[in-house]
Amino acid sequence: MSTFYLNIVHRPEMVPEYIQKEAEQGKVEDLRRYSVLQESLDIFRTQQQIAHENGLRTTIQMTYASLFNAEAVAIAKEHHEQFGDEIGSTFLGLQCAEFREKFKSKELAIWLFAMEDKRKIVDEVFGKFYEVFGFYPTSTGSYYMDAELVNYIKEKYPMVKAAVATCWEEGPKAYWNANNSWYTLMDGGPWNPWIPSKRNIHCIASDEADDIGIVAIPHLSRDLMAVFDGPGSYYGTHPQNILRGMVYENREIPYFKNIVDQYRAMVKYNRGYAYNMMYVGPGWMSKGGRWEADYAFLLKSYKDGMAYYGELKQQGLLQDLTMSEFADVYRQNRPYTRPECTLWKDILYGSQRQMFWYADPDMRFCLDMNQGGAMVDLRPYAAKLVRPCGVGTKANQDASYPFLVQSLYRAGFFTHYAGEGSVKSCKIGVGSEQVDLCACRTQASFSEEGDTRIVTLGPVTIEFDGFSARVQSIFRLTEGSGEVEIVRRILDSTNPDADFSLDEYITACYGTTEYPEDLTGVRLTLVAADKTESIEYAYRCREAEAENVQFVEAIIPPVDTRLTMRADGPAAGYFREGFSFSPMYTLGIKKIVKAKGELRTWLKVAKAS
Amino acid sequence: MAQGRKGKLNYRCPRCLMREIDMDMLYDRDKDEYYCLRCSFVGDEKEIQRLNAQFREKYRSRMIRIKDF
Repeated sequence: MSTFYLNIVHRPEMVPEYIQKEAEQGKVEDLRRYSVLQESLDIFRTQQQIAHENGLRTTIQMTYASLFNAEAVAIAKEHHEQFGDEIGSTFLGLQCAEFREKFKSKELAIWLFAMEDKRKIVDEVFGKFYEVFGFYPTSTGSYYMDAELVNYIKEKYPMVKAAVATCWEEGPKAYWNANNSWYTLMDGGPWNPWIPSKRNIHCIASDEADDIGIVAIPHLSRDLMAVFDGPGSYYGTHPQNILRGMVYENREIPYFKNIVDQYRAMVKYNRGYAYNMMYVGPGWMSKGGRWEADYAFLLKSYKDGMAYYGELKQQGLLQDLTMSEFADVYRQNRPYTRPECTLWKDILYGSQRQMFWYADPDMRFCLDMNQGGAMVDLRPYAAKLVRPCGVGTKANQDASYPFLVQSLYRAGFFTHYAGEGSVKSCKIGVGSEQVDLCACRTQASFSEEGDTRIVTLGPVTIEFDGFSARVQSIFRLTEGSGEVEIVRRILDSTNPDADFSLDEYITACYGTTEYPEDLTGVRLTLVAADKTESIEYAYRCREAEAENVQFVEAIIPPVDTRLTMRADGPAAGYFREGFSFSPMYTLGIKKIVKAKGELRTWLKVAKAS
Repeated sequence: MAQGRKGKLNYRCPRCLMREIDMDMLYDRDKDEYYCLRCSFVGDEKEIQRLNAQFREKYRSRMIRIKDF
């Protein structure tokens, strides 16, 4: 039976940044400004009322500041009693006069404090929560919760079972969107709930020993196409985000329902399970209006969104749970190896484009059907990189999980007339002609064979000099294998005698931003039946190729990853070193076939050490 | 020149918005115009609304209710 779960989270944020900034125009900072506290509380109350009017329960995440406000505490207790809302805690909204006095810091992001301070803040927030409510929260969160922080929370407060842990693809794009002033640099996590690894919150746990002990929830359910190439805070299940992105006309926002319905449709890819979360802070519903929308429109958008969830619930198509309830339900039927899959389609730009997203304990990747199924994003979860963030760490603000391929940050198929961009694809050649499947738009379908998920792409026709051929790509993902099996098949050709060269390749790098990282020391290796070659990357354009390849691999020490390609039979393999104007490495496997022939390869992502 | 201050509805700069940068503008009461500290845009409310409508055009499906998934 299919189930669509919903978490609605509200927080009484007493000093929301947006409202506070408004109130401060022409005045000095005052964290106890009555008008701000009152407005924020009013909005929180309104949000709660709208949810309840639609028959929906919420998780009230008490901010540290709200724990000092008798009215906020009273509302939380009352709504817990009356409606069954959960009272949880959040590390958002830390800043208030009491916090400033105790910690002497203006820092607002829990993940960016030094570890020693994180521990003290957790103890203070949880201690105050206990003092107010007489119990510890079982759910918590922030925009980002690093593994080190969650490990500490679990050690001291083992009852915590759920946390809002990342904002999906809020990284350099969010930073740029906010005039380079919003430090939520946290690309690379899953888009739907997951059980995180103890080593890195972005990674999905491999097994019980690796299980961090909570169910992580992404902050909002986001548009998996628009947010890959746009600001996260324009496109998601957050009505005011959509207003910010201006995806409306005449005060109507069908896009919100379209996102919700596309998430509901994920039951097709995930064994009957789908999920949504809505989490709007009071600052987004400021009485003064925001994002070119007046308060009436801000309010309407929230009411409309909640009404749609309410309608779905009434029809028996949605189950509203609190965060902790959801964590229990999620764990009941979730083997660690089960992947999260989604064939997302464009609901914004009027194209037919599809992107397939996949995440399991070994990797997260994305295939773009507009580029013939090219892999445009690849994150090596298998490496389970220990990468602490915050003051005193090497990463500091950069909490993203590194990629090996990111076709928007590091080009992709299209480069500006020199070098190569990061992408995984296949080139089909005949004689001196060659066509990259990146240039062949298509559509895909999803199916399953036991524990193998299959993405089958529609055939594309390639025109050669005097004849044409139809090529099909199939991606097979066997649960727990850590591999992507890729089939490239020449379905037919108007010239049955033609020899086709199939060149399956991955051009990759590593990093978390648009800027190149040093590839020195990356080891490229080719192992063939009668030859082994290996080099350490030095930007010298070296290449090696051999017949009867067993495998080609790249070991990338800075991200502790071993990337391997192998074929199922006789084929040639190669590696290619790049140069400074093209800081990439390429692995590939080639084979000559006639019509009806195919090349089958496997791409494996593993921990190097 | 008059002091720049927050205008009505915190209009973002429509030119910066075109490149997906959210940049609040300042309002000059004397000239009844908004201006951007980043890209040098200057315009009145009507001009901003015209450009915002243009920005929305990229969302060709913005008014379509899609149910086929």
